[in-house]
Amino acid sequence: MTLVLGGSGSGKSAYAEQLLDGYSRKYYIATMQVFDAESEKRVAHHRQLRAGKGFVTVEQPRSIAQAARAFAASSLIQEREKRGMPSGAMDGMKCAGAEKGTAVLLECMSNLVANEMFGSEQHGDTDHGIDSGIAGTVSDRILKEIAELSGKVDHFVIVSNNVFEDGIDYEESTRNYIRELGHVNAGLAAMADTVVEVVVGIPVFIKQ
Amino acid sequence: MELYIGGRAQGKLRYVLQVRKIPKTQIWDDFEIWFKEELKQQKNAEKDTWDFLQKHPDTAVICDEVGNGIVPVDAFERDYRERLGRLLCEIAEKAERVERIICGIGQRIK
Repeated sequence: MTLVLGGSGSGKSAYAEQLLDGYSRKYYIATMQVFDAESEKRVAHHRQLRAGKGFVTVEQPRSIAQAARAFAASSLIQEREKRGMPSGAMDGMKCAGAEKGTAVLLECMSNLVANEMFGSEQHGDTDHGIDSGIAGTVSDRILKEIAELSGKVDHFVIVSNNVFEDGIDYEESTRNYIRELGHVNAGLAAMADTVVEVVVGIPVFIKQ
Repeated sequence: MELYIGGRAQGKLRYVLQVRKIPKTQIWDDFEIWFKEELKQQKNAEKDTWDFLQKHPDTAVICDEVGNGIVPVDAFERDYRERLGRLLCEIAEKAERVERIICGIGQRIK
């Protein structure tokens, strides 16, 4: 697993995307919800960045473990195809370097946490303990779901946001959000093999 | 062209002057303040930046990191952070040297 951090306009998306180069199946889990012209424009910009790179987009604004359905289905097909193939054909593919398996890019964690904390419950996932009042509930659940997902893919790249360094005193709900996202980032960093912060488009490695 | 990026009051100017020994006349300090002013006046800040940097390729740009926070509610502030961030990525790409300054210490990242 690779955790990619960065601020606004830091170039973290472009950096994260190229980490999936060479994988035969590439999934993009989009967590952003489109609700106005600006978010529409933002999504369009990211689509343009990914265009022609062979990503399958999975929209999953919350309940992230459910995204597995999309790629588990196509992996199964791939698995059957492999079994049906003579072994020589498989070796040939490996030699050509075409087969690196399934890679998933999740963008981005800051939206997922916000959606889980503040989003409306329109998606039938009211069974989650958002209103249970237990501190850390959202971040704990997300980390559990991410751990579950990461076991199903060969490479998992997660983009998250550095929102922790503006020194502004926010009201309580935003303070809670900052704490939850910080907890998620720390948990992801513990799971990840690589943690990298993108600064003006340049990767600065934090864990390697 | 060189780029020095870092949080507020991290000793960026002092580092560029004293450690890097770059003459004052080659330094473009507080780049983010100028950039925001350009946006306020609805000027093409990106174009104006490149016009200057092409004429003065030995410039050392010093800029505050402004993107590491909660996305502002105000649309202008959001746009400012996003556009400044993207422009800095382009400047970094063209620069021969990029350093990030923390606690007065330069961390060379390019």
